[in-house]
Amino acid sequence: MSAVIKTTTPFTISEVLFAALTKLGAEPIIITAENINNFQNRSNVAIDNIITNRKDYNGLQLFRFNGKVWQLQHDQDEYETSIVSAVNKEYQSVSRFLNELNGIYQVCYQTHLKNLAELERQKIEQARIDRVAATRLQAITEAKAQGYSVKEKNIRGKIQLVLTRSV
Amino acid sequence: MPEQQITLTIDEEGAITAKTAGFKGKSCLEALEKLLGNTTDIIQVKTTDEYHQQQTIECKNTIKQRN
Repeated sequence: MSAVIKTTTPFTISEVLFAALTKLGAEPIIITAENINNFQNRSNVAIDNIITNRKDYNGLQLFRFNGKVWQLQHDQDEYETSIVSAVNKEYQSVSRFLNELNGIYQVCYQTHLKNLAELERQKIEQARIDRVAATRLQAITEAKAQGYSVKEKNIRGKIQLVLTRSV
Repeated sequence: MPEQQITLTIDEEGAITAKTAGFKGKSCLEALEKLLGNTTDIIQVKTTDEYHQQQTIECKNTIKQRN
């Protein structure tokens, strides 16, 4: 007897997981101190868990972070399953659900990487703008302190300061 | 009355090119050092013939801000 198994991409980033669950129609909700009372009688939830609209014998299926990855908590036998949603009623098996989530997670992860790259680009660009502004201000301040009159021009993106004084 | 002039050009990265006029001898470099302080690294200095003849009325410096 032989078997082939396949694991999903480890779900390590909560923002990416949340986005993937949303795209998949699992209507995720992050459990907080404010909303935990709304779910305690429907599942064994804890703060920071991400619940879904998937329900089984144990209550709402949820993702829980084990310190390394987010894992789906569900009834092993998938007994008494349903979807708790006004718009989505079709329950998929856990394996099929995780398989689809896996694909969407990878797409969302790529988006996440692009967002991080864009944030880094903006950070570098802002640092450049700040550096130029600081250099300009320092030059003008020092020039005036030393008795120069200052005329400023902008020439093709460069700042030109003409400092003049009589001696 | 003699006039001293320094033209500073700050590029998109914050590097400065400075051109001086109306200074005698090495006083142009001293004036720039006094103006820009120790916060800059000079990476290039171009001087005119007049500078070397000690009759200088103009010298040109290219400096770059230390990041």
